[in-house]
Amino acid sequence: MMNRRSILALTASTLAAPRMARAAGFPEGPVTLIVAWPAGGGSDVSMRLVAEALSRRLGVPVLVENRPGAAGTIGHRAIATARPDGQTIGMFSQDAITAQYGNANAPALTEFVPLGFFGEEPGSLQVHPGTGITTLAEYIARAKAAPGKLRNGGNPAPGASFLYMAYYERKLDIRVTKVAYAGYAPTVTAVLSGEVDSGSVPVPDVIEHHNAGRLRLLAVSGAERHFMAPNVPTFRELGHDVVIGGWRSLAAPAGVPADRLAVLRENLLAVFKDTEFQTKARHAGFAVTPGDHARTAAAWVEADTSIYPIMDELGLIKARRKQGT
Amino acid sequence: MHDLISNLAMGFGVALSLQNIGLCFIGCVLGTAIGVLPGIGPLPTVAMLLPFTFALDPTGALIMLAGVFYGAQYGGSTTAILARLPGETSSVVTCLDGYAMALKGQAGTALAIAAIGSVFAGIATTLLIAAAGPPLADVALLFQSADYVAVMLLGLVSAVVMAHGSVLKALLMILLGLLLGTVGTDVASGDYRLTMGLDMLADGLGFVPISMGLFGLAEIMVNLETMAGRTAIAKKVGSLWPSRAVLRQAFPAMLRGTAIGAAFGILPGGGPTIAAFSAYSVEKKVARDPSRFGQGAVEGVAAPEAANNAATQSCFIPMLCLGIPPNALMALMVGAMMVHGIQPGPSIITKQPELFWGMIASMAVGNIILVILNLPLIGIWVKLLQVPYAYLFPAIIVFCAVGTYTVDSSTGDVVLMAIFGVLGYVFRKLDCEPAPLMLGLVLGPLLEENFRRAMVLSDGNAMVFLQRPISLGFLIVAALLLAAVLLPSIRRGRQEAFRE
Repeated sequence: MMNRRSILALTASTLAAPRMARAAGFPEGPVTLIVAWPAGGGSDVSMRLVAEALSRRLGVPVLVENRPGAAGTIGHRAIATARPDGQTIGMFSQDAITAQYGNANAPALTEFVPLGFFGEEPGSLQVHPGTGITTLAEYIARAKAAPGKLRNGGNPAPGASFLYMAYYERKLDIRVTKVAYAGYAPTVTAVLSGEVDSGSVPVPDVIEHHNAGRLRLLAVSGAERHFMAPNVPTFRELGHDVVIGGWRSLAAPAGVPADRLAVLRENLLAVFKDTEFQTKARHAGFAVTPGDHARTAAAWVEADTSIYPIMDELGLIKARRKQGT
Repeated sequence: MHDLISNLAMGFGVALSLQNIGLCFIGCVLGTAIGVLPGIGPLPTVAMLLPFTFALDPTGALIMLAGVFYGAQYGGSTTAILARLPGETSSVVTCLDGYAMALKGQAGTALAIAAIGSVFAGIATTLLIAAAGPPLADVALLFQSADYVAVMLLGLVSAVVMAHGSVLKALLMILLGLLLGTVGTDVASGDYRLTMGLDMLADGLGFVPISMGLFGLAEIMVNLETMAGRTAIAKKVGSLWPSRAVLRQAFPAMLRGTAIGAAFGILPGGGPTIAAFSAYSVEKKVARDPSRFGQGAVEGVAAPEAANNAATQSCFIPMLCLGIPPNALMALMVGAMMVHGIQPGPSIITKQPELFWGMIASMAVGNIILVILNLPLIGIWVKLLQVPYAYLFPAIIVFCAVGTYTVDSSTGDVVLMAIFGVLGYVFRKLDCEPAPLMLGLVLGPLLEENFRRAMVLSDGNAMVFLQRPISLGFLIVAALLLAAVLLPSIRRGRQEAFRE
């Protein structure tokens, strides 16, 4: 028989969180959110915002743990091998997908389950003003006139900005010389100094320099224009079907019980949809495009199918070669 | 000029608010403490503090974090002089002459000269950033990959020149460092090299565990063996007031150290450690009697201490003016700014003048706080080191282990530190200095990355190093230095100089 107190408690909880999924005894104590990149970077900053908001919803602390190293492999494996009780989750980006083909030690896609989709960070193409190039069409013409002559700065293979350029080359039928820099900051410096003619790093890292006229953004490879660069067209607007970029999602190790997954998924989606959270994220340079676990799974599969052939073509597949390739 | 004064006035208005003075003070105290304690550096400290600054306003947060960085340079010299333990890697060279002075009973003079050198460099660099910061940041943009190759070669050559004893041993240690530097991910292809299937080696051998092992642990082992019952810490600090003659001797060295430090801080990949090393080797070159170095030459303390402090501050120039972090710590600072919603880049000076000028002014304030903290209160910091060996050694080992672990939360790094501790002990026994090895390890991967990039950019034409004026200039200086040290007559003189 139900006593008055339990009815009250039940009513109160129903009022506070209508139709929210619950799991008995979960979360129990702090939730750890593993980020496979160092403190202070874009991934760290975005996930700290998520952790703060998620902690308020779950009522337990959500602690960001940075586990950088080996192009994300160390952190990704820490997520995959964590006890599948839902107390450990982590950030999952397209780097986790490329890593599994480059490093046999990296965990496979099947070792994770998707939780939610934070947002996208499309690639972009920017040039040094001294090149005299002002439009994407001029860039393509220049690259076609002398294949391999234009130099583009980016990550070492198979890093994100390397893949963006490889994808642009494939789709635009051009060839440039890809020069490797250890991260976005030195790449941007090289574009500013004119050591390379162009760069393929995302908008937030170059927007200040674009506004100051020190480099020129030609196009963004997102489905839509970037909110920080509303005057820069997309590749699509310019007549090229080129959409590629990075994204950030959250994942849990495979094997977390369904009721716990449901709690994490619903609360994450609620966090992403919260307007106050979105404003905060925007302020820090992130466009949040909330997505549930199905959207997340789709992004994983899509990245897997678009990135694999590029890596294969460039001889970057060193592990988990797919059948028939 | 009028602009400069009004801008600085605005900066001091920001820096002298009660809250910001308080934050600056906290940063300086923390910085001195971690500087004094070997094994805990500014990098993990700033990383650990970062989450606590979320609640502060961005200017206050950056003022505090900057205080930790330059405060550590002050604290680092204290341990270097009194215990021959470099509290920071940038104070490694201060050990040579600082500790020698302490053994001669001139610890007080050495500490005072280190502090005066630091505050002089600190205030001079503050003025430099204010006056020349914005235009100076453009100089960094003139440097291309080929030029960095030449700069790094010069760095390696000067490591040979400044090493004690055998040139051959110094060369071998550098080569060993370069070899260790090849472990990790290939910069161009992304292949793993010499990682033995271990992911912890994929990013190369860590600088922090190796330097803590080679310098921290090995030092303890050597001490345990040779100094049973005798404390390594100079007990007598002596007078803190340097004589006028000593000041006159030290001042030109401070000036040179400040100039060298300011220059190395601006260069990407540079920073306080390379600045201190370079300043020391320059002092040895210009000295009328180089044999005094290593025996307690006051210039050997003044120049590197001025240089490391100048470099810690001048590396803010490319970070603040261009948003380009020249080293790992500045990268963390950029991260701190982004957490607060500030886009680092050239527009900070115009868009966030309070932040830019407030931070610059806070450096002048911080340097004065640090002199007060470090000179009159030296006794307190010394007490930290006068703890008996039985407590001090285990404590240092714990701090080294914790400090190493916190960088990447990796237990593998702690094991690596232990291995290099044993290696460092062996090197001491063989009379091989670990400093050139460190330089090889740090510069090797950068040298390779820039060399390969320069070759890609020049379509495989190696003449590019001679065609670019900046690169050519550095190469000529490096060649001259190398020739000088290899010429038989000079070599004989040098060996005599090092003979005890």
